[in-house]
Amino acid sequence: MGKGKPFLEVLSSAIHEDYRFPFLEVFAFLYGLGTFVFASFGVTITATGATNQVTATANEVVAYGAVSSILSLPLSIFIILVFKNIAYGLGSDLEKGIIQTYFSYPLRRRGILTAKLLSALGVALLLFLGIQISGLYILAPDIILPQLGTVLLTYAASLSYPLLIAGIMLLLTLKLRRGGISLVVGLVLYFAMSIVSGIATIFAIVTETPLSLQIISAISPSIVLTQYYGGTLGNFWAPAFSEVLLYTGVSYVIVAFVFVLGYTYFSRRLNL
Amino acid sequence: MKRWTNVLGRGGTVLIAISLALLLVSLIPQINLGTSAGRMPVLPEQVFATGSRVLTPQQGFQVKVTVEGTINVYLLEVGSEEPYSESMLFADAAELQEFLEANPNLIIWDYNLEDGYFERYYAPTKVMNATLVFYNPSSADAILDYEVTLTSTVAPGEKVRNIAYWAAPIGIILALPWLLNMWKQRKQS
Repeated sequence: MGKGKPFLEVLSSAIHEDYRFPFLEVFAFLYGLGTFVFASFGVTITATGATNQVTATANEVVAYGAVSSILSLPLSIFIILVFKNIAYGLGSDLEKGIIQTYFSYPLRRRGILTAKLLSALGVALLLFLGIQISGLYILAPDIILPQLGTVLLTYAASLSYPLLIAGIMLLLTLKLRRGGISLVVGLVLYFAMSIVSGIATIFAIVTETPLSLQIISAISPSIVLTQYYGGTLGNFWAPAFSEVLLYTGVSYVIVAFVFVLGYTYFSRRLNL
Repeated sequence: MKRWTNVLGRGGTVLIAISLALLLVSLIPQINLGTSAGRMPVLPEQVFATGSRVLTPQQGFQVKVTVEGTINVYLLEVGSEEPYSESMLFADAAELQEFLEANPNLIIWDYNLEDGYFERYYAPTKVMNATLVFYNPSSADAILDYEVTLTSTVAPGEKVRNIAYWAAPIGIILALPWLLNMWKQRKQS
């Protein structure tokens, strides 16, 4: 038996467990609804007959604003799904001894974890991005197609921090061999970021130096992206596009490092 | 075989769920942001423009026009980054013709009406300025009765509804074998 078949076996079993009917359908419905309900194109029309005001001046800013608007609640729904999959999916597999059964398969440990993560993260990401980008295309093809780079960069920057938390949760779940605590930690970390970024913004405004925001941007590059496209955080920081790419790149290096730690722990240290 | 039935079946149920969401979105009624209406004579070679409006993909432009005489109706698209917005109120027919010849890509509507009724709806696919222009090309006076309504919607209703109408049957066809399989299994157990 080749390695492909056991891998598919683990993957299909993980997908079956993570997306029991009608979980996947409910999330698809919520993503679909949320994409249209929360979409906004950043233009204010005052009143008929009065002067119209365009708050967005460039197509890039409009595309960024549209993606940011549809990310608001659907991103939280996506995070709930991913956290549930990692904490409860992997956690319960560890608790029930299902992972031990997988270890008897002719498959390397990293193959087993890849299959589990493909199900927990990959399928969720595919569903989320597929529905959101298609929805945006239905709404405004002439904004989305020419600005596809901006759209993808906005998604990359916005998903970086949730993926980092997912990596931390993976490590915690593997270490504790149960998902409850890691789920709580994940949720606390996710909501803590809004508080921390708020404090960092106040600190940056008071001191008129962007250092605190730059530090936060290394793990949550959506902050530098907001400043690049909107400049809403103040005049003291005008990041260049290369800076946005740098922070996004650094954040994904950190995410990759956390996942590599998870893989290393799962492959070498996890004794069941 | 069974694995493929599962994959296609779940794909089908996801399609049905998305169709339901789209149908629900298409049922959200549009909001009337305001209406401007008027009845006025348009002299020979006279140009009358309603002024530029900023439209987004979630806004539409409903136009109802009744004409006595001959009137050309133009809807001109000028992107928010284009430098034409200041000169959109054309001083005379020559200026309008010059603009139309120079910018054929910015003409969305170009209709010639003779003693008739005209009703159209326009929703852009990007953020843009739109200007409605009436022009009397004849040598006789014309009477123009118009009503322009600016609407706001969550999504382009017809487009979203059409996608839902296509996706739902495909989803049902894909999901049917899987649902039947599930039903049989439950019956056996």
